[in-house]
Amino acid sequence: MSSVPYSIDPRARELIPKSKVLVVGAGGIGCEVLKNLALSGFEDIEIIDLDTIDVSNLNRQFLFRKEHVGKPKAVVARESILAHNPNIKIKAYHDSVLSSDYGVNFFKKFSLVLNALDNRTARNHVNRMCLAADIPLIESGTSGYSGQVELIKKGVTQCYECLPKPPQRTFPGCTIRNTPSEPVHCIVWGKHLFNQLFGEDDPDQDVSPDAEDPEAKLDGKNSVTDSGNIKRVSTKQWAQDVDYDAEKLFNKFFNEDIKYLLSMENLWKNRTPPKPLSWKDAQDLVTDENTNNDSSVRAVDMEVWSIAKCSKVFSESINLLQHDLKGKSYLVWDKDDKPAMDFVTACANVRAYIFSIAQKSRFQIKSIAGNIIPAIATANAIIAGLVVLYAFRLLVEDYEKCNSIYLRPKSVHSKFVLAADKQLSKANPNCYVCSPQPFVNVFVNVNKLTVKEFETELLKKHLNMVAPDVVLDGKGVMVISSEEGETEANNDKILSELGIVDGSILKCDDFLQNYELTVLVNQYEAVEKDDPLYKVVANPEELKAKESKKATENGASEQKEPESDEDDIVCMESNTSEDPQEGSSSKRRKLNEDSDDDIVEVPL
Amino acid sequence: MSEKQLSAVEAELYDRQIRLWGIESQERLRAANILLIGIRGLGSEIAKNILLSGINSLVVLDDGIVTEEEQLKNFLLSKDSIGKKIAEEVLLKAQALNPLVKISADTSSPTSKDGTFFEDFTIIIATGLKTDFLLKIDKICRSKKIKFIAGDVFGTFGFSVADFLNHEYFEDQVKLIAKKRAHDGTETKPEKETVKVKSEIIYPELNKVIILPNTKQSVEHIKKVKRRNEYFFLMLTLLEFRDRQERNPDISNKEKDIKVLQEIKSEILDLYGIDQEKLDDGLLELVFGEIVPVCAVLGGVIAQEVIKAVSLKEAPINNVFLFDPLTYSGKEETVG
Repeated sequence: MSSVPYSIDPRARELIPKSKVLVVGAGGIGCEVLKNLALSGFEDIEIIDLDTIDVSNLNRQFLFRKEHVGKPKAVVARESILAHNPNIKIKAYHDSVLSSDYGVNFFKKFSLVLNALDNRTARNHVNRMCLAADIPLIESGTSGYSGQVELIKKGVTQCYECLPKPPQRTFPGCTIRNTPSEPVHCIVWGKHLFNQLFGEDDPDQDVSPDAEDPEAKLDGKNSVTDSGNIKRVSTKQWAQDVDYDAEKLFNKFFNEDIKYLLSMENLWKNRTPPKPLSWKDAQDLVTDENTNNDSSVRAVDMEVWSIAKCSKVFSESINLLQHDLKGKSYLVWDKDDKPAMDFVTACANVRAYIFSIAQKSRFQIKSIAGNIIPAIATANAIIAGLVVLYAFRLLVEDYEKCNSIYLRPKSVHSKFVLAADKQLSKANPNCYVCSPQPFVNVFVNVNKLTVKEFETELLKKHLNMVAPDVVLDGKGVMVISSEEGETEANNDKILSELGIVDGSILKCDDFLQNYELTVLVNQYEAVEKDDPLYKVVANPEELKAKESKKATENGASEQKEPESDEDDIVCMESNTSEDPQEGSSSKRRKLNEDSDDDIVEVPL
Repeated sequence: MSEKQLSAVEAELYDRQIRLWGIESQERLRAANILLIGIRGLGSEIAKNILLSGINSLVVLDDGIVTEEEQLKNFLLSKDSIGKKIAEEVLLKAQALNPLVKISADTSSPTSKDGTFFEDFTIIIATGLKTDFLLKIDKICRSKKIKFIAGDVFGTFGFSVADFLNHEYFEDQVKLIAKKRAHDGTETKPEKETVKVKSEIIYPELNKVIILPNTKQSVEHIKKVKRRNEYFFLMLTLLEFRDRQERNPDISNKEKDIKVLQEIKSEILDLYGIDQEKLDDGLLELVFGEIVPVCAVLGGVIAQEVIKAVSLKEAPINNVFLFDPLTYSGKEETVG
């Protein structure tokens, strides 16, 4: 007796029990895919996932239960499948797929790879591994009611990196520190304040007024002293000196600092000036309804707190966080840690009030601060069903019948709930990953950027290499080696010191990904205040064409982005109307520091 | 705190979906009492999804016995279940999916139930039923203002048919609103705000939607629509097959069953005045057995419709959903 389905290609029926399949990710889609594989007669499955189980997974990741919270997803998923059918061979790895333990030979063991991932870094990496191993990959994703399934096969379809993805949303430092105009600016500020008071030191997350703001000294004469930022030992040291006295902290951040901001008069010529708020005055800002003692979910999470309540929560959460900090060198902000989330809610709303920006509920602020993507069981079930239907077809190399399919919310004007493309998406001939000779232009300041920055920001974070070796072409200079210690002396050198100048060619090789990339270096200096630190573009023609449209489009890509089931990461599409390009600092702030790209990805 | 309000535990458990459909929808789901008829491949998928969503109660009605094959294809069953009553055997694993939902089993035959049995539910979901019985339940549902959805999977083909009566629902629309007054009377900057927009869909009775040969009913209202999705007629063919044979097409009887299906297909196409070529005979090869990933797709679609029907949030499918057995796309079709 077997559970291999009828009504599919008879050759596929034969291959199903013999084929080895890799599932990457045991989250919302991963659980569903594993179930479908096991119930369709697949007998040799491997599953890899780095994550552990959280309560908020249980509304859809049905292989897990409450008693599994905190355990590794891959391991529990395996046990759950075996409990239904002990005859299946299933191997679980509680590990990162980016690890060098999973090289091209590991991928070559499989007939198929099924992605059920939640972040771009891992998707890029598995894409490259499958291209290198020449194994068909099914990429999938959901976000709320929507989702999609897509085949990636070397030489047949486009790869995951053929089209540039929309960059993550970032905010100029001055907007955060001086001139917030949207709730999100206040929320980012609140998270930064958390880190300043309780977190690891990060000078990029300063929350105090920024007197270096060029806009503040537009007419040449500084309205404030040249000393720039308010001098103090450090925010954290100062907070410790006053023993985290909530009233003193409140007055500092919401009264004195705001008064200082007001002294930068230029900022307020065309803006509503902020209103400094003292602790004492905040106590009078109560709302009509007396919801302060109501502890229901609605009252605590859904209603917008009065400013008096914010100040109360501010004080209470600081006490708890100060207590948590004892014996530790710093705290890490976590949206699921109650006092940490309460603190950001209170701070964001008080600041929003001061700047006449709409205040938000704790629930709404959590979505923004924690980058939460909503996720439901039904969309995952539908997408995972399609993934495994395509898996049947891929076993018999029926690639032409695996066009991308999109799950749409019903409200879209079309009869299609599941819309299939008419044909496979063709590879981009200039793709810097899957074209025969991968090539890319980078625009950097060769007189400023260090080798280390080039490696971490460009090669690793932007171009998604894991362990690159870099040689300066023509001169044979080893710039970066993946062997530990070999090129350490180069780390702090400026690119030009090693002879890397405008027009230089770098041969970058990632042994793990079996990926060789030729990089043409172009000298570039940031001119405008919001110019990026560097740019990367596969085809220089694209750059010219896009730049002329830059003002209106802001680089929003038309490509359909495979969405994430999970909440760990979000790639917000850039949107001109939501992202006012004011402020001046070359440092731009990101919403979420723990996401995959720490540096600005430039809309090109 | 009233019973109607969500507890902190529920808010945490359902967080990722409340962020999508809102707390009011979650409260409506929490009040829903649902009957599911048939807990085989498709039924088990629907059950999983609606249990996870956080309804109040689920009654599973199925008089079947677990076969070895059924156990292999149904994740709610274990090896020990073989030979026992399926409705009871799914309870353990179904309950584990969501300990907050009240689940019970009924192992009697659906057709043995008298009308009053069906009256206590918010919505009824049916799989694997014959047409006359579907229409009978729909009548009862209509008289008691109960919503109804039925669906089936035949091989790589699947469909659903819904009767949500006069269904009023809400959708969120993003609007730019002008200045708003803050606590102390100062004005805030314009902001995007979501507003609820109310709409209504009026569903036809199922006996205006599912019309088979020999029912002596007019099909003019269905014929009127040009370019009808041809899979609607595949759906009718399979329903008529089940009505006549009292079973689904069976792979061990493949040749004979395909012949019967061909005959029924041509009768149905004649009834609706459709060219015989419109529905390729090759499709009839694809309708054998319940294919698990197809059940997953249909189970997802049907459960999502149930969630919409109960929560009154988002536009539901109106009123037929047809899954393409060749391209795996899925379309809605308004029939009746």
